[in-house]
Amino acid sequence: MVLDEYRNIAEPGELRLIEAMARRLEGRKFIHVNSTSTGGGVAELLQRMVPLFNSLGIKTEWKVIKGTKPFFEVTKRIHNSLQGQGLMITRRMWETYEAVNERNAQKMDLEADCVFIHDPQPAMLIDKKKEGLWIWRCHIDISAPDKATWYILKKHVEKYDAAIFSAAKFAQSLRIPQFMIPPSIDPLSEKNRDLTEEEVAEVYERFNIPRDKPVILQVSRFDPFKDPLGVIDAFLLVRKYHDCRLVLAGGTATDDPEGERVLAQVQEKAAGHPDIHILLLPPFSDKEINALQRGATIVLQKSTKEGFGLVVAEALWKERPVIAGDVGGIPLQVIDGVTGYLVHSIEGTAFRIRQLLQNPALAEQMGKAGKEHIRRNFLITGHIKHYLSLWIAMENRDSSVIYI
Amino acid sequence: MEPFKFYECTALVRMTGRRASDLIEFAEIIRNVSPASIFHHMHQYFLKPHIRLPEYPNDFAIWAADALEDKILAERLANLNPFEFTNMEDIRSEILRIITEHLKEYPAPRPVIKGKEFFFNEGITLVAETHLTAATLQEFLEALKEVHTSSIYFHFYEARLRLGKALDDFSRFFEDCEEQACKQVACRIRSLDPYMYTTEMLREKIIEIVEARCHGA
Repeated sequence: MVLDEYRNIAEPGELRLIEAMARRLEGRKFIHVNSTSTGGGVAELLQRMVPLFNSLGIKTEWKVIKGTKPFFEVTKRIHNSLQGQGLMITRRMWETYEAVNERNAQKMDLEADCVFIHDPQPAMLIDKKKEGLWIWRCHIDISAPDKATWYILKKHVEKYDAAIFSAAKFAQSLRIPQFMIPPSIDPLSEKNRDLTEEEVAEVYERFNIPRDKPVILQVSRFDPFKDPLGVIDAFLLVRKYHDCRLVLAGGTATDDPEGERVLAQVQEKAAGHPDIHILLLPPFSDKEINALQRGATIVLQKSTKEGFGLVVAEALWKERPVIAGDVGGIPLQVIDGVTGYLVHSIEGTAFRIRQLLQNPALAEQMGKAGKEHIRRNFLITGHIKHYLSLWIAMENRDSSVIYI
Repeated sequence: MEPFKFYECTALVRMTGRRASDLIEFAEIIRNVSPASIFHHMHQYFLKPHIRLPEYPNDFAIWAADALEDKILAERLANLNPFEFTNMEDIRSEILRIITEHLKEYPAPRPVIKGKEFFFNEGITLVAETHLTAATLQEFLEALKEVHTSSIYFHFYEARLRLGKALDDFSRFFEDCEEQACKQVACRIRSLDPYMYTTEMLREKIIEIVEARCHGA
């Protein structure tokens, strides 16, 4: 995978900038660390980004910390607490968190010119820093965190050289520089590449979803913040007016033990309804998700909390209009009334679905605008450009205009 | 004469962590926020690609309209033309003057709802030289059509207000040419009102001016 493959997709000027920055950083060592190699947006991004950085001459490695089930229970709780769920993290829980981080720190070689630590799970690895730039990359919605949880985590975060958040509203009061960099999608990945109509049809057939009526789709982990139960309620309101199907497709991640509980609740609520399809997708279901999105009439992302919500960008890239919660990074992607609709309630979700089912021409127009919006703002090439910019900017800290 | 070198740029957004939830807080922060932050919020509209143009060309006016829901203040802030000023401190004073005058006439608007606060950021610009250069009007025209819109942004907005040059780079290049035709191009580029255009529209306008000269109009 090399930058040349993006020449017909990304802006030529953007690619020229990437090449200029990469020349400046050629031969340097770059390490990314997160907590899962499969499932979730961070792993997906790293799977695509690491080979690209290497192809640019920057020696890049991706390392994954090893955790235990209790550790992931705690980090999921920390994650939810930072997203404002008001959960307390007890002393014992913090001890579990610290012990796993320390164990990983002892085993990992993290000597590099630049180290990106993704999300709270491995944040304590900063204690292993000897030299180089260390950046904490936060992918979650931290706009209204539980104060105590953030207070404790912040002590680790402030040991980094800088922090990155996905949206301006996630900015914190910190003693280190903080930057806004939205995540991105890769248009050439299995999850986003063009598919033939036969490939789309094959996936729908395989999952026994007839395409005899409009399909409303939400792809997300089975997580209370994605409100899958609210999606079913909205669908039931729409069904009074339109004959349509609902597909709730969710993956699992090794660092998300809560998923099973939510899935059970969803299955119970959907039980006996022939037009509601619940799909539990295994890891590596990228082509299936791609096909489901391309075959959908409308895509939902009814989140009540969201880091960025990459799945929104994926659907927009496939020219699907998206109806989504007005939270986290979603308003950066869904421009209300242009690429889809932002909603704040079950009723609002149902109302907007009805509007788009009633007006397919508007849905098509929004889909096209959505693709262009993602192309200009949220592709992996732009993301790479931002990371390289940050690296160079951190090595020229006193300049606000830097000549590469 | 030295050929014109085209540069392209990108902006990295640095967050200050400061936010305002009402107009008074906003004015207090404007009073001492960095010049880089004021520049960023007055200009990021021109560097960012838009699928739908925002109603106003600077972040302050957009926030006043959308979050404070104070259209009068929004219009007053939108009408502020940074090209009438030579440095960011004068623009800061003008923003504060507009707010002060507004508060003498109208009650302060209610605080914004949570999540719609104004988040103060700063831009760090990274600039790269391109392979594109121009020594003649025709070469300039061809390069202008090829460069990324960030090049227009850099040579026009960034050069004038951030790098403190008296003129945008394009006008200055043509002004320094000896040919009369070039001096006329410089004069026409200078007469453009850049705050009324996106960078793409500005590119088209400059192309029109240079093409007209190339064809002897």
